[in-house]
Amino acid sequence: MDILTQQLFNGLTIGSVYSLVALGLTLVYGILHIPNFAHGALYMLGAYVTLTMMLLWGIHYWIAMAVSVLVVGLLGVLMDRLVFHPLRHAPPIHDKIAAIGMLLFLEAFAQLIWGADYRTMETPYGQVIDIFGMTATTQRVLINIGAIAVMILLYLFLKKTYTGSTIIAMAQNREGAQLVGINTNRVAMLTFMISGGLAAIAASLSAPINLVFPGMGHLVILKAFVIIILGGMGSVPGAILGGYILGFTESLGATYISNDYKDIIAFLLLVVILSIKPKGLFSREGF
Amino acid sequence: MLELSNVSVKYGAFAAIENIDIHVGKGELVVLLGSNGAGKSTTFNAISGLQKPSEGTIAFEGSPIHGVVPDKIVQAGIVQCAEDRKLFPQMTVKENLIMGGYVHRRKRKQVHQSLEEVFELFPILHDKKDDPAGSLSGGQQQMLAIGRAIMSKPKLVLLDEPSIGLAPLIVEQMFDVIQKINKDGTTVLLAEQNAYAALKIADRGYVYESGSIVVKGTADELLSNDTVRKAYIGA
Repeated sequence: MDILTQQLFNGLTIGSVYSLVALGLTLVYGILHIPNFAHGALYMLGAYVTLTMMLLWGIHYWIAMAVSVLVVGLLGVLMDRLVFHPLRHAPPIHDKIAAIGMLLFLEAFAQLIWGADYRTMETPYGQVIDIFGMTATTQRVLINIGAIAVMILLYLFLKKTYTGSTIIAMAQNREGAQLVGINTNRVAMLTFMISGGLAAIAASLSAPINLVFPGMGHLVILKAFVIIILGGMGSVPGAILGGYILGFTESLGATYISNDYKDIIAFLLLVVILSIKPKGLFSREGF
Repeated sequence: MLELSNVSVKYGAFAAIENIDIHVGKGELVVLLGSNGAGKSTTFNAISGLQKPSEGTIAFEGSPIHGVVPDKIVQAGIVQCAEDRKLFPQMTVKENLIMGGYVHRRKRKQVHQSLEEVFELFPILHDKKDDPAGSLSGGQQQMLAIGRAIMSKPKLVLLDEPSIGLAPLIVEQMFDVIQKINKDGTTVLLAEQNAYAALKIADRGYVYESGSIVVKGTADELLSNDTVRKAYIGA
């Protein structure tokens, strides 16, 4: 029973990170129908920016994370303006090629600046605590609380504010959004900003329990794609639920099946869910 | 108020509309008649900024608006209610209407007042205000599309085939509402295939054929025009 509770908590932690990454990916897909493969690179850069702020200038973890959100968010905006926006009327394959190109470029860039070494991120939250008989580091607790808080804020922003609603409106009908006076280019930039920001938060929260290296976004982005496919492409609830389903399945699978196969579980899950619901769990268009 | 001079929209060698001249005066209700594919929707899209004219000029209240982006056109006071409605299907009726007031988003009171006015005009929308737009019937969706279009209190509203696919009773209601919107001070440019019903409420009209205007005149002139009667009224 203790092991089960512990693994459920671990699953919640992994799922929180996956959900945040998948949310950014699904928001961009929802409004522009671009599968942004470079999102994994934004995740990686989010961790590096936070780490650099902390190591170079001794900035506090939370402030470093805020800077990282801003930097990676702006990088997302640049990605839209310099790459995706000029390709808006090009055949869809061009977006995909450009996204892969950016992923490779940003990884090479990170390697040039920070090197290929694996780095650790020390935070003030390394102490081990006991919660309801479970053992966890404060950092893991923070990941869960932080991710859930961000998801609630994102939900309120999308549902309760005019600016947030423009993202939902554009996802459901781009021309309809234009006809009510929404500047769709501005919405696209805003969405890339949020998407980058979410990747930076996810990376900065999870980096202290993982390692920071140029290829750290590979597996995460692959799994984020699995999540948004099984959750329903472009669906916000689908990304959250999908992230947690994958987190719990991986954590429990690693304990009760085999730790060696934990990464395969994501893809097995994808096959199973798509066999039952071919359009994903939340198949409707829009958010 | 609105002047289209020599407007053409071309796709390569194919002209969707060619040398269109339209004048709409303040407070008028002007109708564009024509069969499917005649160029009425392309004209609307050119005015709304969804399509860039290849040639010609479009002016609204004396300022050129051809090639201007759609959101700036809405801000200028022109709103299009498209033929396929372009609603936000998973948003509720109320959310759709509130999005219609987007250009006045900083004046919450005004948006709320417009919302009440739309509910008064279409009481069924009030009853269904919490339902997703995609779950409404065709007639209700059309009411919502018109309601959303007038939420921003436009100076000119472009209504693209509001009667298409609706039951005769609903069509009658729809034309009554359009007339009321016009009488309340909004200039209306209406594209229709239902020529008789449209001309009965219109001041003037233009008849399209294969992307060009072939006949124009006052509503009475068009109602008695042989070509119009044969082609669109069946008399």
